[in-house]
Amino acid sequence: MNDAFVLPTRFGARGLGGCYAPETLMQPLLDLEAAFRAAMEDSGFQAELKAELRHFVGRPTPLTPAPRLAAKLGLKALYLKREDLAHTGAHKINNALAQALLARRMGRTEIIAETGAGQHGVATAAACARLGLRCTVYMGVTDMARQAPNVARMRLFGATVQPVEAGQGTLKEAVNEALRAWAGRCTEAHYILGSALGPHPFPTLVRSFQTVIGEEARAQVLEQTGALPEAVVACAGGGSNGLGLLVPFAGDGLRRMAVEAGGHGRALGEHAARLDGGRMGVLHGCRTLLLQDAHGHTAETASVSAGLDYPALGPELAALVLDGTVDARRASDEEALAAARLLCETEGILPALESSHALALLPALAAEGVASVLLGLSGRGDKDLSTYQSRLEL
Amino acid sequence: MTLNPLLPFLMAGDPSLEALPGLLAGARALGLEAAEVGLPHSDPIADGPVLQAAAHRAIGRGATPRRVLESLAGLTDSPDLILFTYLNPLLQLGLDPLLRLLEPTPVRSLLVVDLPFGEEPDFEAGLRAAGYPLVPLLAPTTTPERAKALLDQRPDPGPGAPFAQRFAYVVARLGVTGTGQGTDLGPVAARVRDLQGITARPLAVGFGLSDPASLRAVRTLGATPVIGSALVADLTLGRPIKACLESRIA
Repeated sequence: MNDAFVLPTRFGARGLGGCYAPETLMQPLLDLEAAFRAAMEDSGFQAELKAELRHFVGRPTPLTPAPRLAAKLGLKALYLKREDLAHTGAHKINNALAQALLARRMGRTEIIAETGAGQHGVATAAACARLGLRCTVYMGVTDMARQAPNVARMRLFGATVQPVEAGQGTLKEAVNEALRAWAGRCTEAHYILGSALGPHPFPTLVRSFQTVIGEEARAQVLEQTGALPEAVVACAGGGSNGLGLLVPFAGDGLRRMAVEAGGHGRALGEHAARLDGGRMGVLHGCRTLLLQDAHGHTAETASVSAGLDYPALGPELAALVLDGTVDARRASDEEALAAARLLCETEGILPALESSHALALLPALAAEGVASVLLGLSGRGDKDLSTYQSRLEL
Repeated sequence: MTLNPLLPFLMAGDPSLEALPGLLAGARALGLEAAEVGLPHSDPIADGPVLQAAAHRAIGRGATPRRVLESLAGLTDSPDLILFTYLNPLLQLGLDPLLRLLEPTPVRSLLVVDLPFGEEPDFEAGLRAAGYPLVPLLAPTTTPERAKALLDQRPDPGPGAPFAQRFAYVVARLGVTGTGQGTDLGPVAARVRDLQGITARPLAVGFGLSDPASLRAVRTLGATPVIGSALVADLTLGRPIKACLESRIA
């Protein structure tokens, strides 16, 4: 273990996570951990973050009962944690804003970020606009094409969107390029990683700034119903939304479920279900479950959802699944699309394609006899309208 | 101790695996005692555009880690080799198969870009015990205290050992390989002098060096310049290795 860090760098019985970073980034990562620890113990920082989450982000987000969808699926009760109603349209703003505040506290004037679906990029661009920080977002060219409205939103917020042409042009390549850019500018720039992955301390940082989702949801469901649900469900790309919702329910003895992208097939390259086809490996600074070929090269992935196609599962969430406290399932592109349509028709809510993967698990849970579910609606679907239009023939 | 004048970097599999032994023989014919051989990786996060492209071409031509090491087996007309790589391909091979593949090659040490000391202690200890030390990297962000610790953690085996097993790699500038030509060498010169004050082991300086003047400037400091992206780019254009290296040794 790297004894220069103070916080635990590893997760679970198999020691996932770690800090597999090039030497150039080691001191910046050590400095980041120190700044994070100081901020978490500083009541001034906590108060500032809380105020921004309330007045800028719009927290707490509602917990919405979804009785018509529940009845349709044969569930007794269904509650949706509405991260789609957070400012900029997804949970990503919780972490982006907190890290931007941390960066300002560290005296950084420039922010680097990667984005897949564009939600983290938009959230980071908005946070930077609000705090007066310069912002560059790296985004794969495939994702730029399929999430074009988010590219425009980032540019409106004054961010530079840097196209990444390499490979499949999706999140993995964007992270590569953001890490390279950070290595070049690490003395003045902070890198706001958007998922619970990367080298320590990023997974811990991101999880810490996202558990507000589950903390609120737990209090809200208790207040509304007087009881906890039987299951809590979240989609899982890198793991920021999954950990954010599921971790605060750790001691409750209920079923915690993470849904991965099943894509359009079960062969390597046709999906992004790391728990099904992944092997232990190291990518982007951490040891975790990784979709890869026999030679240790990262495999291609496929998903209708730009936010779920990362080839590795964040190390903490992977550890929770391997240690048996979180169940991982997969939902296919078609199942997710159908689930999105059903939510629209029964509740008047347009979910992001990512969140639709969590929704797609509900019929199976009902069939297994689960009566009540709390589901993380991680983002809104406006960014996915063109996909919905073409795939659902609207 | 005579100064090793140049440490060339070659990407295995680019232009081809078949060409690699000839390139290495060419480097040896010029009297170079060591060379870095890059193991192509799908996600080379510390590499700039030239080496990224070379790695992807090599992977496209089937230069898997196993085939790369097999192509080096039995080479006698080669400088000592430093295997420059990312960690995951090595982890997927596993320690024992990796050691079996390394044994018949001229590889004398490994430079694993994304493996800080302590993250894979058993793996690193197994490599070292088998005679493959890991090269310490010292970046512009590495504090003097940290540099001391890094040099102790991956210690100098001493003057009896070859350059490939002794040297520490000084990263000349922030960023990735192959960019930043024309960088002011003042800061790295100061760092090299400071490091020479705390260690007697040979130092190599790389990242963004290409023109003969920069390479000479590094030699003037008593350190060995690394030539990577510029050499790979020249070889891609079909220039003979002798011509590529000769002008850079002078």
